[in-house]
Amino acid sequence: MFDDNLGLEILKEVAKISNSVANLENTLNQIIEVIRSKMHVDAIAIFLLDEESQQLRLKASSGARTNRADLVRLKVGQGLTGWAAEKKMSLAISDTLHDPRSFHFKEIEEEKFRSMLSVPMIVNNTCIGVINAGMEETRVFSENEISLLETISSQVSGCIRNALLYDQSQKLVKELTILYDVSLAVQTTINVEQGLWIILSGLTRGEAGGFNRVILFAVNEKTNELEGMMGLGPDSAEDAHRIWASLSKMEGSLQQWIVSETEKDGYQRSAFNTFARSLRFPIKSGESLLAEAVLQKKPLNVTNARNDPRVMRKDLIDVLGTNAFAIAPLVAYERSLGAILVDNRYNNKPIIDANMELLTRFATHASWVLENSRLFSQLSETNRELLSTKEQLGHSEKLAAMGELSAEVAHEIKNPLVSIGGFARRLQDKIAKLQVEEQYQQDCKSALKYSEIIVTEVERLESLLKDILLLSKPGDLNLREYPVDALLKEIIDLFQAKLLEKNIKVQTTLDTNIGSIAMDDQKMKQVLINLLYNSIESMPNGGKILIVTYLEMATKDSPMVTIRIEDAGGGIPLEVFFNVFHPFFTTKHGGTGLGLPICKKIVENHGGNIRMENHIGKGLIVYIQLPLHNVCTYNSKTESAG
Amino acid sequence: MKKILVVDDEHNIRLLYKEELEDAGYEVILAASAAEAEQKLQEGKPDLITLDIKMPGMGGIEFLDNLKQNHRSIPVILCSAYGSYKQDFRVWASDAYIVKSADMSELKATIKEIFDH
Repeated sequence: MFDDNLGLEILKEVAKISNSVANLENTLNQIIEVIRSKMHVDAIAIFLLDEESQQLRLKASSGARTNRADLVRLKVGQGLTGWAAEKKMSLAISDTLHDPRSFHFKEIEEEKFRSMLSVPMIVNNTCIGVINAGMEETRVFSENEISLLETISSQVSGCIRNALLYDQSQKLVKELTILYDVSLAVQTTINVEQGLWIILSGLTRGEAGGFNRVILFAVNEKTNELEGMMGLGPDSAEDAHRIWASLSKMEGSLQQWIVSETEKDGYQRSAFNTFARSLRFPIKSGESLLAEAVLQKKPLNVTNARNDPRVMRKDLIDVLGTNAFAIAPLVAYERSLGAILVDNRYNNKPIIDANMELLTRFATHASWVLENSRLFSQLSETNRELLSTKEQLGHSEKLAAMGELSAEVAHEIKNPLVSIGGFARRLQDKIAKLQVEEQYQQDCKSALKYSEIIVTEVERLESLLKDILLLSKPGDLNLREYPVDALLKEIIDLFQAKLLEKNIKVQTTLDTNIGSIAMDDQKMKQVLINLLYNSIESMPNGGKILIVTYLEMATKDSPMVTIRIEDAGGGIPLEVFFNVFHPFFTTKHGGTGLGLPICKKIVENHGGNIRMENHIGKGLIVYIQLPLHNVCTYNSKTESAG
Repeated sequence: MKKILVVDDEHNIRLLYKEELEDAGYEVILAASAAEAEQKLQEGKPDLITLDIKMPGMGGIEFLDNLKQNHRSIPVILCSAYGSYKQDFRVWASDAYIVKSADMSELKATIKEIFDH
């Protein structure tokens, strides 16, 4: 049955296999063909050893049922095939039913084959698999048959190993391709969410990692916590199977898949994403494994969390619902930005070193996406600040220039005005004293009237100049301790006659704890007179004005005294309200529009603030806030300057 | 009769002061600058000086220093177009500070007060 001729034929056939495409499936099928043509057996099966699991798996067969071949797995040492693999020796059994080592897989109706020949395939003294030949009848395999299969086995082992290496390299190429595609996609988007989504989706794709679930955490520097930012994965086991089923149908190009926006929006609504975004872990040593990975900037692979002494918080296991997970920190320029956590909750596939390598590579990409987005937002923030500062600077420069100019102009106008007014007064006096004949008396009266007009108009101009100078050069404050209660009572007393006349009642609720505060009481009186005058003017039909004082903490350690003046004047139109503090804006006939701007300036010079609330139909509420503790710097000067 | 020296660079202001103060019963002499005032002081000592602050050449505040060193006994009223000089501590050396106004009553009242004192 076995002669030299046959040996040569086999060599020729195997050489043909070696030269053909090195795809594993192809190779195995060709080997089976060779054996079938040279040996008269009922069934042939090739088992290959899976290095990770140390299991022998049925990869190709002929003559037996193969529809459930994926379930046929043997440990090394199990069954006749396992024995041959373990001992690296051929084994011929004439009746498998009577050999205690036998193990029959019902799935492929193995019990049909009564006699069996198992030959191991050895490369570099390592068993890479086993070739089985089976016969339905009980029979003894001849020496020739055994050495024929052994010859074939030794010839094809090399081919199989090459095919295995080829498959492995194909897988690596796929991994590299996906990494390249992901990095390309990430580089072309400045949208951080889009970038991270691409990376996370990449990690859940079968070609790379194929993790069941991925969660991205970002460092929140304010709270010093890791915050869940994005979670990608099925919501439940059923969901997982549905997704995988649809994924296998949808084998398009990765680029296409990345561009498809529909999927991207879908994740946001998923329960898993919501769950992921609710997660918070403090970044402290000894708090959680996640924090540890971030602090040490090292990836961690936890295969059995429940028995792992490194897992400080067993609740993370409960939260995730899985006993195995891996963490990769996100680091850019030595700065911790966050972490990626992955698990295989639904298919329980162990996370191996190759997966970890890929995870770290994806983590690097994610780090750059986060860092770029951080730098970008920092840049925009700085830019915004710069623009607003520039605007403010421009505004205050304009105001300062206007102040300088108006002070200059006011001074130049003042002297001639004093002359005009002064001589007008003299004119008035002289005319009044004039003794004229009757026919000139009418003219004399007119002249008196004209000079009077000059005098009053000059008075008006002088008061306007005074206000402009006050606004542009308000001068230092003459601060001294002055009781707030007394200040308000004095002002109300001042208006007593006018209040009676207009039928207005003033109701005060004063906080007696406030006492005295440092202020320029003359200037503050000016402010209050101005405000109360406005309130009274707005209430021609009478009513009530409420004045309330109270203490308020503006910021920690800086209590402010608030004076609240509420009138019942019905409020003011919006366009007026927005302009009340603008110089020269006025609604009063003959008003200068400087009253409120001066009030504002005075209050602000006290380190306080003034603001208004407009309740249309009801009235205006003015809030003046002054610091309770003001430094009395000008106290001594006040007294000497008198 | 009390003699008042009015120092001001503005001709019309000097004229106004002269007429008003003469009507009030004072003898008035005039100077258009600090230098001219110095000259008038050599000719005869006034009982009071009204002094403008902003003047070409030596300003009022500087001249006030001189006056207080060499003519300590003569009261000085500073008159300015605006009040912001009140913050300059050197003005404290003066006997009064008045913001110029067409209404001369404040000035006249102050002069009277100083003489009556």
